[in-house]
Amino acid sequence: MAFTAARHRVTAAVAAAICVGSALAACSSGSGNGGTPAADASGALKVWARAANDSPKAFQAIYDAFTQKTGIKIEPFFTLTDFETKLTAAAAAHDLPDLVVDDAAQLGNFKTQGIIRAVDKGKLAGADQLAPGSWASASDLSGKTYAIPFSAQANLLFIRKDWLTRLGLSEPKTWDDVTAVAKAFTTQDPDGNGKADTYGLDVPGSTTRGYISWYWSTFFWQAGGEYFKDAGNGKFTATVNSPPGKQSLKWFEGMYCGSPKVVQPSSLNDTTTETNKAFQTGVTGMYFTGPYAYATMDGSAVKGKYEVIAPPPGPGGAKTLAEGTNIYLMQGQRPNAAQKLAEFMITQEAQNLGMTKVPSATIVRLPVNTSVDAASAHKSDDRWTLAQQVYKDQGHYEPVNMPNWTALRQASSDALNAVIAKCGDSDAALDQLNDKLNTLLKQQGVAAG
Amino acid sequence: MSALRTSAAPVALPAQRDRSGSRRTVPQRLGRSLTPWLFLAPALIFFGVFKFWPSIWGVYLSLFHVQPYLGDQWLGAANFTRTLDDPDLQAAVWHTVLDAFVQVAGSMLVGFVLALLLEGPARHLRILRTAVFLPAVIAMVAVAELWHALLFPGRYGAVNSLLGDVGLGPLPFLASPNSSLWTIMLVQIWKHAPYDMVIFIAGLVGIDRELYEQCSIDGANAWQRLWNVTLPALRPITTIVLILGLIRGLRVFTEIYVLTGGGPGGSTESIVTYVYRNVVVNNDIGYAAAISALLLAATILLTAVTLWWRRHRENA
Repeated sequence: MAFTAARHRVTAAVAAAICVGSALAACSSGSGNGGTPAADASGALKVWARAANDSPKAFQAIYDAFTQKTGIKIEPFFTLTDFETKLTAAAAAHDLPDLVVDDAAQLGNFKTQGIIRAVDKGKLAGADQLAPGSWASASDLSGKTYAIPFSAQANLLFIRKDWLTRLGLSEPKTWDDVTAVAKAFTTQDPDGNGKADTYGLDVPGSTTRGYISWYWSTFFWQAGGEYFKDAGNGKFTATVNSPPGKQSLKWFEGMYCGSPKVVQPSSLNDTTTETNKAFQTGVTGMYFTGPYAYATMDGSAVKGKYEVIAPPPGPGGAKTLAEGTNIYLMQGQRPNAAQKLAEFMITQEAQNLGMTKVPSATIVRLPVNTSVDAASAHKSDDRWTLAQQVYKDQGHYEPVNMPNWTALRQASSDALNAVIAKCGDSDAALDQLNDKLNTLLKQQGVAAG
Repeated sequence: MSALRTSAAPVALPAQRDRSGSRRTVPQRLGRSLTPWLFLAPALIFFGVFKFWPSIWGVYLSLFHVQPYLGDQWLGAANFTRTLDDPDLQAAVWHTVLDAFVQVAGSMLVGFVLALLLEGPARHLRILRTAVFLPAVIAMVAVAELWHALLFPGRYGAVNSLLGDVGLGPLPFLASPNSSLWTIMLVQIWKHAPYDMVIFIAGLVGIDRELYEQCSIDGANAWQRLWNVTLPALRPITTIVLILGLIRGLRVFTEIYVLTGGGPGGSTESIVTYVYRNVVVNNDIGYAAAISALLLAATILLTAVTLWWRRHRENA
């Protein structure tokens, strides 16, 4: 009897324990290679876009115009948080959408998963109308195209104009100026509320989606650094620990660990959701971010209180993080209809809709279609002229053509976040990171030597 | 003390009578044995589809390099051997074990003290108990978001403002790798202690009052009554609280994901957040499945050992 009762208890406990093991549920296997079906399946076209707030409305305007023209219905899905997570889950369940709009930086990630189709530019209507440079972040190292560019942008410096005025400071023109303004914003009570509750620099320092290295890249390139050196034959060596790299990380770490500490104190756990809020609520006074944030910031209490300037150049010149948004044709069941939608999304009409249809959401930041001009589309807002100019003059893309850039960026982020959290030896951290990146290059099959 | 052991032992089940009792026909007997399974069926089917099958499938996937659209590659035990040589995983295991131990011990201690303070039929105690229990019914995501805001590491974070009033801080809380894990433990104890309290109160109610009276007559003080009557009588309850706590502790995810995402500098990475990262960031589903399978095995082992140990102690 006692044995039976005990056995039942053990059984129950084992059952409870198994519940723990299901941490990894809903993962599927299978060996399908997702070849292109000859004809499209029926039903609505499933389209995912990484978008939140009012952006879905702008996408919907483009979808509606497309449906009206072609009769092809669209089943949209929008999320900003965990977009790639949900996509991975969909891939694991063999239930991918037909078309995805996401950062160009995901190209290698998607390609290595085998979830996107190669794009035949010759068969893509309107391909010739796109700026030649925009294709750069849509192809792999061999030059084969795996996406269609949809929008581009470069980071600018958002800075509290009212704080500058109150403290009698002028716009920063160099790194030293950035440091000086950041210190003043932190220590001189720029909002005049009598409390030391403001910080100079707003940094999404979390490792999520590689945020911290994504943000630091601007300073890295401004110092003259590059992540990789082309060794020819499609092989590369990591060069993140070069002298400019070390100089930039030392400077960046100083923002966190110097005296005073000028970055918002929660930074190392913050993603852009938190940093947007920090700038909007007057916690921070300087924020490097893209022109899409015009709408985000103008929809909050800082509207009219901040200005946007070109990022001050560093010791290695004027550079800033440039990024593209791509259209990915997925291994879905409706490849032909998906391509039709992609073709429509790069037309003059759709690009204009994406820029101006919903004023609070510019899903097309800088258009990729050469017949469209952001500055003239946003006539009343000369910040777009600046955005266009900075993109052209200073824009520097991440090496998204690497076989899997997201993995390399994640490693960089982990290293940066770890060393800054400890206020540790930044030079040693970059040496270690360089080794790690070389190991990853080897795993990705593109290491030199 | 022997009287106590008897009262704490499982009650004998009245099953013997049926076996020696009246004769039943075959369909009747079949019906009687099927009935409990019919009642269990909905839950079993649910668990089968959503818990057991995914678990088994996960173990199967741990043998592959999983690529849903390119075809899975057989790796054999490679994912498992890789776990032995993964410093990030080892750090995550250490954080998880430390976290499980501290939060379970902390929750039980606080829960037990709360139970002693708040046990009783008085109306004001019922109101207090309800108030104290509230954290246990709030979703962990909401709790974590709330604490995330309260624990803002600047001088003007809510908690730091209070600390500043008494001349302390500002403390970095979640922002420093030195304090992030401990801060998470405090949030966990705040959330879980009330749940433990309720279980302890149920246990306290079940203790025969006469035992306390006998002890008092024998001249025992309050501490001796606690040590010799209350604690031994709560032993079975403690087992339940401990097992639930450890299982909860090993699979810790939500609060860490919301509060720190595993940072800063990986200082709060737990086993499950590491599994999650491997799935969604690195797309390494096979490796993540291997870690999950090991976690499952460890949990089963831990549960079995705890049960065996308690039984061993109770029968001794």
